[in-house]
Amino acid sequence: MSEPLDIVIVGGGTAGWMAAAALVSLLPPDGWRVRLIESEEIGIVGVGEATFPEIRYFNEAIGIDEAEMLRATNGAFKLGIQFVDWGFKGSRYIHPFGVHGPAHMEHLFHHQWLRAVQSGWKSDIGDYSFAAQAARHCRFQFPETGTPTVNSAYTYAYHFDASLYGAFLRGIAEQRGAVRMQGKVTEIIQHSETGGIQSLRLESGEVISGNFFLDCSGFRSLLLGETLGVGWEDWSKWLVCDRAIAVPSERDELSPYTRSTAMEAGWRWRIPLQHRTGNGYVFSSSFISEDKAADSLIRSLETKPLAEPRVLKFQSGRRVASWANNCVALGLAGGFLEPLESTSIYLVQVAIMQLVPLLPGKRIDPRLRDEFNRLMDLQYERIRDFLILHYKLTRRDDAEIWRYCAAMDVPDSLSRKIELFRHNGIIEKYKDGLFTPTSWLSVFVGQGLIPENYSPVADAIPQEKLISQLDAFRTEIRDRVDEMLPHDRFIDRYCAAQVVR
Amino acid sequence: MSNRVKSVVVVGADAPAWMAAAGIYASVGGTGVHVRIIELPTLLRPVDVYSALPALAGFHGRLGIPEDLLFKACKALPVAGQRLSNWSGATSAFMLGYDQLPPVGGGDLSFTQCWIKGRLKGLRTPFENFSLGPAIARAGRIPVPAEGAELQAAFGYNLDAGAYSALLKHLVTGGGVESKAAAVADVAIDGDRIAAITLSDGERIEADLFVDASGPQSVLIGRMPGAQFESWRESLPCDRMIVASAKALQPYPAFSQISAFRQGWVGLFPLQDRTAVVAAYDSRETSDEEVLKSLPILANVPLGGDVVVSDLNQGIRKRTWVGNCVAVGEAAFSLEPLDAAQLHTAHSCISHLMTLFPATTEIGREAEVYDEIIRRSAVNLRDFQMAHFKLNRRFDEPLWDRCRDSAAPATLQRKLDVFSARGRVPLYDDETFQEHGWESLFIGHDLIPQSYDPRVDSIPEQELIAQVHDRQQEVRALAEAMPSVEQLIAGTAAAPETISSAHI
Repeated sequence: MSEPLDIVIVGGGTAGWMAAAALVSLLPPDGWRVRLIESEEIGIVGVGEATFPEIRYFNEAIGIDEAEMLRATNGAFKLGIQFVDWGFKGSRYIHPFGVHGPAHMEHLFHHQWLRAVQSGWKSDIGDYSFAAQAARHCRFQFPETGTPTVNSAYTYAYHFDASLYGAFLRGIAEQRGAVRMQGKVTEIIQHSETGGIQSLRLESGEVISGNFFLDCSGFRSLLLGETLGVGWEDWSKWLVCDRAIAVPSERDELSPYTRSTAMEAGWRWRIPLQHRTGNGYVFSSSFISEDKAADSLIRSLETKPLAEPRVLKFQSGRRVASWANNCVALGLAGGFLEPLESTSIYLVQVAIMQLVPLLPGKRIDPRLRDEFNRLMDLQYERIRDFLILHYKLTRRDDAEIWRYCAAMDVPDSLSRKIELFRHNGIIEKYKDGLFTPTSWLSVFVGQGLIPENYSPVADAIPQEKLISQLDAFRTEIRDRVDEMLPHDRFIDRYCAAQVVR
Repeated sequence: MSNRVKSVVVVGADAPAWMAAAGIYASVGGTGVHVRIIELPTLLRPVDVYSALPALAGFHGRLGIPEDLLFKACKALPVAGQRLSNWSGATSAFMLGYDQLPPVGGGDLSFTQCWIKGRLKGLRTPFENFSLGPAIARAGRIPVPAEGAELQAAFGYNLDAGAYSALLKHLVTGGGVESKAAAVADVAIDGDRIAAITLSDGERIEADLFVDASGPQSVLIGRMPGAQFESWRESLPCDRMIVASAKALQPYPAFSQISAFRQGWVGLFPLQDRTAVVAAYDSRETSDEEVLKSLPILANVPLGGDVVVSDLNQGIRKRTWVGNCVAVGEAAFSLEPLDAAQLHTAHSCISHLMTLFPATTEIGREAEVYDEIIRRSAVNLRDFQMAHFKLNRRFDEPLWDRCRDSAAPATLQRKLDVFSARGRVPLYDDETFQEHGWESLFIGHDLIPQSYDPRVDSIPEQELIAQVHDRQQEVRALAEAMPSVEQLIAGTAAAPETISSAHI
């Protein structure tokens, strides 16, 4: 084998260590050398404490033991996201990690449900989702495997301390051969012919050269943005929030879901971990001052704060290409979508897992680059539309931000989805992209968009039979949920953190 | 909801029309929607054959049509694959099967990547020896579910076109669908909607929804605003077609055979009572007479009975759902009679129509969505067919040189690029063939990737060799355990000749 290829990762936040751990676990050690440069002066953002179920595949692919990871990160399980006051004040719904209705009915279930509702029958669609019901009752159990049953048709994600997750991955990465270098990058030397990145000079004077660079430098986008000049596409006219204030508080109920509560200028998260509860207020500085936002966050806490609030500034959008020349940006260096649906870590993960099979050799193959960028574009745009949906569908008119969002123009890809659902209950499907029809369904209905019509196919069975089937299904879910362990007891048995930090 | 769709009229002939009527009636017939079919004169000749993909079984399943019936009533044979020969000059023939592998996500490493490394390091064993479908087809056998095996394959069908259409007609008319044989004399269009159609006997029919299943004639959609025909002649060069028959082959082959010749290709589609022989060719390069004369030699079988010649016109309607008129099957788009795409065209349109079935007579953006989905699936299928032509290795023959040198559409070019570079296939929304199907196609046509997924190098050399060896053994063992075509057919002998009514 020829001499190994050098991959240099700049930045040691969650994205950097996820990349390092994945690369050393998946690539042959004699073919690739992985080094990560991080500076202790530069703080990490590390807000992403809530994840999406896809993270399980990431952990599995690099061989992480789930219970060990949860113990190390004070982690807990997550079955969905609860949205409070979004559609209107006083409303609440869960976007669950699992289907509504029997798994084999796919798209037909919600049409049947709509038919029943239109006939005047009162019913909450969340009652037909196993994951939503389990979440509501604060219970947890792993999904059944094997033959499909009501308690097999869901999945789950985690809440964890993202900086501990980063540290945990760092342990794995270093143990498997990644080399960590400490220091601040002071100069970036570009290749005279290709314009690509040749080497980095550190404050110590040391020069690190590499074949391929991963920019995990956060919002600054040191390599991809600053050095290679890849432009920024601003999405803030649709996703207006540009600040977050985060504050941890003492642990309270360990609910297996993230809570997102709409506020007067944005929304507030609540993420329960084993040792504390993460809280934060994502808001738009055009609609509220930082002081006022911090004040209303503190007042909303259910338990005692454990630290001073921290402010983060951001803008929703992305670099027009994630891969340019010999550099790929991961995480915030490549784009930012606000954490409303816990997609930050997912976007890092999907970029790594799509990059590995396409990693180039010494020469950059534009065919591989273009394919990677195509796949990332789909991911970003489809998540973007799904996030905008939450804002667009609000019916609140008690604050300026909500009046703005309800009136704003949205991308046509999204307005078509809304029109289709409103008219006929149709949900468009796509192949690449995180959110499935069941996610779209829960947000459409949860925010109060009830279609005017349903598919005539749902009329195939008599009304009374339909209602008794729906009732039986709901009861079956309740019975199975009642058999589950309370989430906190499940955690105690499975993955209690040894020392609660 | 006073303005719900209450009446649907299907206009068309042969299997696609009956499939549409059956599919619609099975879904909404029980809900008070009146389904009627206007049966146009048949376009079929006794020699015609339908070749169908394995997915058709799912359609039959929903309609309650037992598979036995196809073998009993439609002179059908199961088809485990499609063998392609003479497309690549000196390189040998290859088989495309219907392997059913789980999709390869970013997190998984497919066996294909291991094979590519082997091949680049000098492995001589062809890719198809590691694929279950082709191995079964070559052995003259038919895949049935193998318990506990990770590898699974499926089979499609060759059907006598007339008999299959008659079977569907029997089921549809025996159910609740009102049918009438007539021609369409006039279509009254009001804006972008059909106000009514007038039949040859003067009857005037109004409906909330009209489904055009009239094949390439496009009797309804062809008159709708904005629905002009867009030709794909540039991508798929054959514009004439001959269909003939030869004696049934014994024992029954488990695959269809497609051979390229100087001016086009000739296909053998085995049926129980005969072998359908189809030739498609470019009229710029040859004449009907010339092909007719050389057909027995090209097909390598003596021909008997009728021979019919017709036009081939591949392309798509610019819009496939306009107002209250939806086109399905070849009324929407048509391709070459290759890769078992014919019935699939109708099947896929009907499935999408049912998912998007309008709730009310005011049709919203579902028409636009249908249009996009149908166009995407048509383009993906066209690209699959076009790859046969684009990747040919027949040099110094005008047709083939032209096909090789002409630019591929961007959608196909990206697939070719990423596959040549790394052995991965960019899949788009609404693909008929999944990753393994495209990989087999490209490798069969001798497009060998220049590099492979770097993760393959994490597997120690000895382990990789063992994996490759084991895979071949497993494929061989599984293939040998499958029933022959005759055994599969014999197993259906006890089935009734027909059924009175399925779920239709």
